[in-house]
Amino acid sequence: MRLSFFLHLVIGILSWSWAAASTDSQEQIVKDFFDKNSNSNNEGSTHTNNWAVLVCASRYWFNYRHMANALGMYRTVKRLGIPDSNIILMLADDVSCNQRNKFPGSVYFTPDRGVDLYGDNIEVDYRGYEVTVENFIRVLTGRMEPSVPRSKRLLTDERSNVFVYMTGHGGNEFLKFQDNEEISAFDIADAFEQMYQKKRYNEIFFMIDTCQANTMYSKFYSPNILATGSSELGESSYSHANDHDIGVAVIDAYTHYVLEYMENVNKTSHASMQQLFSYIDPVKINSHFGVRTDLFTRSLDNIRLTDFFGGVAQAEIVSRPETDNTNINRIEEEEVLSERNITEAHSRPRLPNQQTISWWSYATSPQYKQLRIWSSLVMLGGLIGLVFSRK
Amino acid sequence: MDSSPQPPPTSPRDPSKLFHQKDSLRRSIVAVYWTVIVLSIPLWWTTTSIQRLSLPFNGVREQAYRTLELPISICLDTTDSTFRKEVADLLARKVAENSSRWAGTAPSVKSITECAGTNDFYTIKNHNSSPYIDGRQLYFPLEEPNASSQLVDALASLLVPYTTSADPDRRVAQYSSRYRLAFSLLNEDATTGDGVMRWKVQEGLRAHIKPILKRLHALHNFTIESQVQFHAPLAFSPRQIEEVYAISPEDLTVFINSAEWTLSSSSSNDPVLHLVLFIPSSTRRPLHILTKDESISPSNAFIRPQWGGIIIHTPTSLTSTNELPSKDLDIIFATFASQLLGLLGVPQLPSTVQRAPSDLKASFSDWQLDALLRRRTLENAAGSQDTLLSIVKLVNQLEGMPVHEDVRDDVENALSFLTKMYDTSHSSLRQTFEFSARSFNLASRAFSNPGLLALLYFPTEHKYAVYTPLFATSGLPLFFAALREVKRWKESRLAKHKKA
Repeated sequence: MRLSFFLHLVIGILSWSWAAASTDSQEQIVKDFFDKNSNSNNEGSTHTNNWAVLVCASRYWFNYRHMANALGMYRTVKRLGIPDSNIILMLADDVSCNQRNKFPGSVYFTPDRGVDLYGDNIEVDYRGYEVTVENFIRVLTGRMEPSVPRSKRLLTDERSNVFVYMTGHGGNEFLKFQDNEEISAFDIADAFEQMYQKKRYNEIFFMIDTCQANTMYSKFYSPNILATGSSELGESSYSHANDHDIGVAVIDAYTHYVLEYMENVNKTSHASMQQLFSYIDPVKINSHFGVRTDLFTRSLDNIRLTDFFGGVAQAEIVSRPETDNTNINRIEEEEVLSERNITEAHSRPRLPNQQTISWWSYATSPQYKQLRIWSSLVMLGGLIGLVFSRK
Repeated sequence: MDSSPQPPPTSPRDPSKLFHQKDSLRRSIVAVYWTVIVLSIPLWWTTTSIQRLSLPFNGVREQAYRTLELPISICLDTTDSTFRKEVADLLARKVAENSSRWAGTAPSVKSITECAGTNDFYTIKNHNSSPYIDGRQLYFPLEEPNASSQLVDALASLLVPYTTSADPDRRVAQYSSRYRLAFSLLNEDATTGDGVMRWKVQEGLRAHIKPILKRLHALHNFTIESQVQFHAPLAFSPRQIEEVYAISPEDLTVFINSAEWTLSSSSSNDPVLHLVLFIPSSTRRPLHILTKDESISPSNAFIRPQWGGIIIHTPTSLTSTNELPSKDLDIIFATFASQLLGLLGVPQLPSTVQRAPSDLKASFSDWQLDALLRRRTLENAAGSQDTLLSIVKLVNQLEGMPVHEDVRDDVENALSFLTKMYDTSHSSLRQTFEFSARSFNLASRAFSNPGLLALLYFPTEHKYAVYTPLFATSGLPLFFAALREVKRWKESRLAKHKKA
């Protein structure tokens, strides 16, 4: 990779126009991987535990709505039965304690401020500068230092259904984290593939609310992933409602309608994914949300919302052994096993390994790209011409 | 510039004679720049390179596609060799019929003399009433008509008790070398009175749980924790049917109110098995479970697959200190014990086979333990092979993924344990299991090594975007300066030649 990059650079300095042609070869590779994996057995819809990874990737007060998005999802999955121990909540900033918050300690996602999302029982696992691309990838792949506490780990197995929700500012195939780094669609696709290889999931439901969100799931190639995004390539995702007291938008449109539908879903509901997606109206949210089902074996009608948003719905009644069961033996054993009472584990926040890579441009619209390529060509040609004309 | 004509005398100074305009000085400055650049390339190369140690690809591929076969020696204590042959044939047919159930096992029927030298064998002895087991011996009525087919049926359910129908909800927890058992006594609402304030958990554990844990010592290590909660509300209201309260099958699936109950501490990363005793509030007693046909189930206990067991219990009579009566404690911990056995995958004995009184010293028989050991060995071996293959595949696939010494060592050790496992598979089941578990643990550790994190993907355009402003602005002037110097040097040489 290094060698090829070095060659690219040398060639690139001499002639930039070459760059435009060489970007799409990755797609063929991805397609090949997908074709290879599509034949593998699928495990069916049986799962025994549910997990959720909820990520708000942007900070600062004016991105209040992204934190509200993630907290709204947190509230919903918790209400539907995923325990806190199975939810990894990543919030890049803490708006509830922001000085500009007129309602300190509270986060709302509707202008009428009906529900306080920050409520009384909330567990943020990664906060502020801990929300980095590296930490997110580590959560997914399970590659953690031994000292990382249980609450920060995604301890899934091959019977786990995982709901991954992301929100923030993004563009074509990337999502910004913290204004100083970004995760690309390839990174998430590779992370999911690694999860698949280690049997860390049964099924994944990936939801993302950001501009050009549908590009983020376009690179996935591992089986049993259902994905949805809020807007197509070239489209923005819009906020839904402003609160004049808070002074900023409090929620994004796509997430708002998803949450609105989820409000009528309870733990034992049989509502399907199809019903959720029929409920969301592209006209109302001002963008075309997308659903990717080709990696998934079950049809949208057969997927219950509670398969991903809720706890598991399985219970098996077992008979009690008879009272005078002779099989039970009563030999006094010496205590060989350690016993302890419950102690609260105090997690000490780990200093994040900051990645400091900054990009000089986020502009990615096709016209701009074309313009950039041509103008740099002209500039280069001009320079070369100038040097030679002076000879 | 030697070729240029002599300067006119009017000019105060000749620019070509100035020190800083000397050709040699200018050329050496340009040369220094290029020397620094050329010399720094190796430094840049080494500082940006990723350590990718080579993994034993061939070894992994070789071991990963081997299949493990655990021999099962069945010794018939009878002199009748035709009967032995008959049993062997029937067993072979049974194995062929249901090969997935017998996968990974290689049963063989031998005479008692053939078995003498080997260890870990099962003996079948004649006995003229209902069959029973004692240790690894099965006493079976061998002289009855149809004895051979009945014996083979009994052997099948004793040796390979795991079928898809026996584990319908994938109840058995996935293998881990360490488990945490969390015992919780939850009062729905102790403020309504008649709550259970304490229980003699040590006594219950000692009588019912510890013997099981000791028996499973070879497979797992256990940590136990316990708690009592006085307020653990349900997230739904049970239905009232006449005098009793009942939980519908649908509500039963959401019985665990995880939002409000804290069921285990987060003190380690080991998987947790929960065992919950739920005492309904005094206003909702008695609380029962409804079966699918809306009748009240005789049992008040249920299992959430791979998660744990729950008992709903209405205390019979409380002592003055609000302690759980010892009679109740006995029943409850006996139920916990059977739930735990189910969750850990200890198979049940077939109903036709009893255990001898002397065998009851242990909480479950050797046949059951061996079946579990075989199952876990095969699971671990397959898991270890899959994980090793995945590591090799991912490292090949993701070029930016570093491989350090610890990963390589773990992979190599996992591989060597896998080899040892195959070597011992014919001598000792316990040893084979031990090696399979160690190999699986090492392979998993290698896979989740924190250093094994691939570099993030950056599109080619981004690399241009970062490096072009840096390299193009400094590189182009340097490049053309060098070009010009070379040109001038050539020109001057040409001029010299002409002069000469």
